[in-house]
Amino acid sequence: MLARLGLLLYVLLCVVPLALGLGYVAAYSFGLIGLLNHGFTTVHWQAVLQDKAFWQSLGFSLYCAFSSMSIVLISASALLMALRKQLSRGYLSYFIYFPLVLPTLVAAFICFQLWSKSGFISRLLFQIGFLSNLEAFPEFVNDACGIGIIFTHAFMATPFFTLLFLQLYKSEKIQALQDLALTLGATPGQTWQKVALPILWQKSIFSIFLYFVFIMGAYETPLLLGRQSPQMIAPLIIRKLQKFNLQDIPQAYAITTAYLLLLMGVAMAVLRNLKMRAV
Amino acid sequence: MTKKYRLLALLTAFLLVFPILFVVMLSLGKTWSYPALLPEHWSVATWSSLFQDQRISQGIVLSLIISISVGATASFLSLLLARSIAYSAHQRQWLVGSYLPYLVSPVVLAAAWQYYFLRLGLSGQVQGVWLAQFLITLPFGVIFFNSFWNSHIRSLEQLAATLGGSPWQGFWLVSFPLAKGPLLICFFQSFLISWFEYGLTALIGVGKVQTLPLLVFQYVGEANIFYAALASCLLMAPPLLLLWINKRLVFIRSEGMEDQKE
Amino acid sequence: MQKLIILGILFLVWGCQSATKPNTGNVLQQPWSEIEKKARGTTVNLMMWTGDPLINAYMQNYVVPNVKKRLGIDLKIASGQGNLIVQALLAELQAGKTESELDLLWINGETFYQLREIDALFGPWTDNLPNAQYIDFSNPFIGIDFQQPVDGFECPWGNVQMALIYNSAQIPNPPQDRQALAAFLKEHPGKFTFDNQFTGMTFLKSLLIDIAGGAKELEGGFDEKKYLTYSKELWAYLKNIQPYLWRAGKTFPENVAVIHQLYASGELWFTMSNNDNEVDNKVTQGLFPASSRAYVWKSGLIQNTHYQGIPQLSKNKAGAMAVVNFLISPEAQLKKQDPAVWGDGLVLDVKKLPQTWQTQWQKLPPRKYVAPRSELNTRALPELAPQYMIRLAEDFRKNIIEK
Repeated sequence: MLARLGLLLYVLLCVVPLALGLGYVAAYSFGLIGLLNHGFTTVHWQAVLQDKAFWQSLGFSLYCAFSSMSIVLISASALLMALRKQLSRGYLSYFIYFPLVLPTLVAAFICFQLWSKSGFISRLLFQIGFLSNLEAFPEFVNDACGIGIIFTHAFMATPFFTLLFLQLYKSEKIQALQDLALTLGATPGQTWQKVALPILWQKSIFSIFLYFVFIMGAYETPLLLGRQSPQMIAPLIIRKLQKFNLQDIPQAYAITTAYLLLLMGVAMAVLRNLKMRAV
Repeated sequence: MTKKYRLLALLTAFLLVFPILFVVMLSLGKTWSYPALLPEHWSVATWSSLFQDQRISQGIVLSLIISISVGATASFLSLLLARSIAYSAHQRQWLVGSYLPYLVSPVVLAAAWQYYFLRLGLSGQVQGVWLAQFLITLPFGVIFFNSFWNSHIRSLEQLAATLGGSPWQGFWLVSFPLAKGPLLICFFQSFLISWFEYGLTALIGVGKVQTLPLLVFQYVGEANIFYAALASCLLMAPPLLLLWINKRLVFIRSEGMEDQKE
Repeated sequence: MQKLIILGILFLVWGCQSATKPNTGNVLQQPWSEIEKKARGTTVNLMMWTGDPLINAYMQNYVVPNVKKRLGIDLKIASGQGNLIVQALLAELQAGKTESELDLLWINGETFYQLREIDALFGPWTDNLPNAQYIDFSNPFIGIDFQQPVDGFECPWGNVQMALIYNSAQIPNPPQDRQALAAFLKEHPGKFTFDNQFTGMTFLKSLLIDIAGGAKELEGGFDEKKYLTYSKELWAYLKNIQPYLWRAGKTFPENVAVIHQLYASGELWFTMSNNDNEVDNKVTQGLFPASSRAYVWKSGLIQNTHYQGIPQLSKNKAGAMAVVNFLISPEAQLKKQDPAVWGDGLVLDVKKLPQTWQTQWQKLPPRKYVAPRSELNTRALPELAPQYMIRLAEDFRKNIIEK
């Protein structure tokens, strides 16, 4: 009964609003609704699917999310392995929360002020004689590889995953499992590699996936730290949605629909796959 | 060995805190041209001018009310909903729906929802903004708690059921106490999602529901980096304060638990 | 179950479409005293960009209290830029709303065009304002917005001249046309750029006019043939200077604020502004070095006006009109023009004002870092039809950014 009621609420509060949103966006992209539309048409979809920028943008978003999450998982795991005690009590257990209070736009702003050619790091290097002028400072923001975007997201997400891992480490009694593995003759390294980390990663797979799609949909960071081309998916959508040409709005919605459907498909496949392996 | 780790801990702490100190420093600057390492001129005028604006304090109160209630409701409810999903036969399919709000920027989501909010007469209202923020934080909690409802917890609840407890008792007396730690993390994250929300609030609230981000976010993207830094500080201070209070609670509890174990 | 949900959603999406009836009311027929009486005790929601501390201070500390004191109106300021305004009003129309959440909008040519496109503006109402008699409507830079007559659908609020800003300590003789700019950039690569938004596109429009041999050539509506001819030359020119732009022209700042930041830190030697007074504003704030100067180069830059508009569906048109009447009063305009307050250009014709106000104007402190407007006016170029901007933005992406 309780579970039934929960499901009903879930449908009402999570599924229905999203379906409504998706329905609106899809109907708009096919010209069915909207002030500037004149009935069913597939021209907006054709325009989007034939646009090289859309596919590039998809690839670039994927690349940024993947690179960022790799860094996050490696550093969160490393922090857990090395500083478990310090993270549980003492000053570090407090400071680890600090990056969480950064809004994305602020994080991007800080990254820009630190790492641009005239930023703080460049000034520091200049002052200690490492740089002869600001032009010599390498490109870390607005660069072709999205370095600024990737590291800003990594910086924001690492503490969250460190905390999550720490929580799981306790609740799943991983220490006990590791001790057991040790008595069975495993080396300390193996207890992490073969026991602890696989459990942690598998247990947090949903959160990992969530953050992955969250980074893929990032807007503020690529706007300030990225380039106009390749552009991540959200800036592409917003450009079509809000820039000078109102006739582009249906295209913005076509991109949104295509992107949502694509990722929902991928999400289904990935989650099924992971679950099966876990079982 | 321990010394090495202590050093590593210090270095980590520095990396975690430095960006925030850097922003605080910038908020006190007036001019800062290359290659000066620190601002050449300092000023508290930026701070005092913003504090004279009483809309800021009103915005902070409104934001706190919205974000705390959204965070608390969403995290508690999502714990329950995640449980229902964990017990259902189609766990994965259900969960996919929860990822959707994070696929695209909230600005796009807001554009898609705006129509319905307008039809329901919630546009430009605090209630509308509350609902919109609640709708995007709830799925986060559901995903967050998905791993909480593992077979271990579920078997504990089943044990309670075989011993004659109702499902509600099983949840309230067995699982809920175990969920307190995760609930705090989830609350904090949901609170933050709501606290920082700009695009959705601006569109659903038609710029009229003046939460703190709405009042100061436009500074962050603008030419004056010192105002941008100050706006950033204003946005970060309340969560930091909450963290401090929250952390103390967590501290006391976890230390208590350690004691029991030993 | 699932099918039911889908059906329900489809119903909701389609079912609620209904035609909107503009509630014009009889505001336009009423005498002004009646409008002011009706406006007393009401609230007016003004949506405007709120990213500048000086502008915000002018609104909060001067306009809001005065409107309250003199007209009995609660002026509430909602934050939102042009795109948010368009999106909000478009959504209201699409949802078949009969009343808008907003009563007053700060807009410029681009937003004006988009709002007229969706028929979201109320009008014509500006002739009803008593203070409208002082407005310099005969000035084409004020009475015509992007080649479209304003026709009373928006009220001029401020007039600004685009200007380039440079550091006179670094550059004694800044380039005066595009050839000189190209030569300068080859000597000093990486010190100049323009943004990918409104200001940058306005700069490109100025270049296009120069290439076309003057504003006369591109006057009136959009001309595809002329556009193609002259824009081809524009892309060739940009291609030529691209390697010498900031970051070798591989990326452009997303908005002009970033250019200001890069100029303030010294990474760029130039920035630009749609407001010739902004240099005074920014030096006063301590943001730009005091050796900064703004200028309009010989080949000219665009001058335009920003306006106040009232949504078709506004609940309080009388209140909105009363507020605008105050905004264009000699007193409010004088205050706004003071570089220490905001430094926004005037839309009134000083000669039309009563003598007492004329002398007030002469007492206004002169701006320090840019030549007086009367000197710049000879180099002012008019805005082009809105389609030019739309096309330039699209083709800039195709020809420069994505190449």
